[in-house]
Amino acid sequence: MSTSRLRQGALNIAEWLAQPMPPDCGGLAVFAGTVRDVHEGRAVTGINYHAHAALAERRLAEIEAEAAQRFGAQVSVAHAVGELKVGEASVVIVVRSGHRAEAFAACRWAIDTLKQTVPIWKEERYADGAARFLEGTPIKTVKES
Amino acid sequence: MRVTIECYGASQRWCGAELVNLDLGEAATVADALGRLAERYPELAARRETVAVAIGDDIVAASRTLIEGERLALIPPVSGG
Repeated sequence: MSTSRLRQGALNIAEWLAQPMPPDCGGLAVFAGTVRDVHEGRAVTGINYHAHAALAERRLAEIEAEAAQRFGAQVSVAHAVGELKVGEASVVIVVRSGHRAEAFAACRWAIDTLKQTVPIWKEERYADGAARFLEGTPIKTVKES
Repeated sequence: MRVTIECYGASQRWCGAELVNLDLGEAATVADALGRLAERYPELAARRETVAVAIGDDIVAASRTLIEGERLALIPPVSGG
């Protein structure tokens, strides 16, 4: 398995589930984001994900480390770049922890933090042939989240 | 000095290019580079406060002094997920 957290093309979620469960863990939580076929009433055919690769890789690793420290969990985060079609997975968060409460909490914190701290941009493609970058949120550091 | 601006995300649209070269005075800062871009590109000027600048894999302060030949990345508001 590649150690890169930023992947070209759609993610295969099964890759992250195949890792062994640590023996002291009893909770496994997964969040996956996929491309939706509609946004604000417009028919979407796909999304081209752009990234600043060096900073994005660093920030994804920081999210894993910070989540592990905050929640006492093992956290894996990955994000796709490039052209994705409707239904394909763009982001995956997998948390393994002792119990369900910290697994759910770490999973939510990691995806919420990713959306504010990782330099990735969605360029939506529409059924009428148009494309546009979505409005985002000014970038923060992982520690600020 | 000359520096190169790499435009990411929507900043490619605001500046009309993926790469922009800027000629700046000696001891110019990140803020000076953003100021010059804002003079040239009104759409960027309107969003200047929301844009960060990265050099390598670091977000840098507006007061950071630039070096001849450096590459600066414009980081507009992010929308991953």
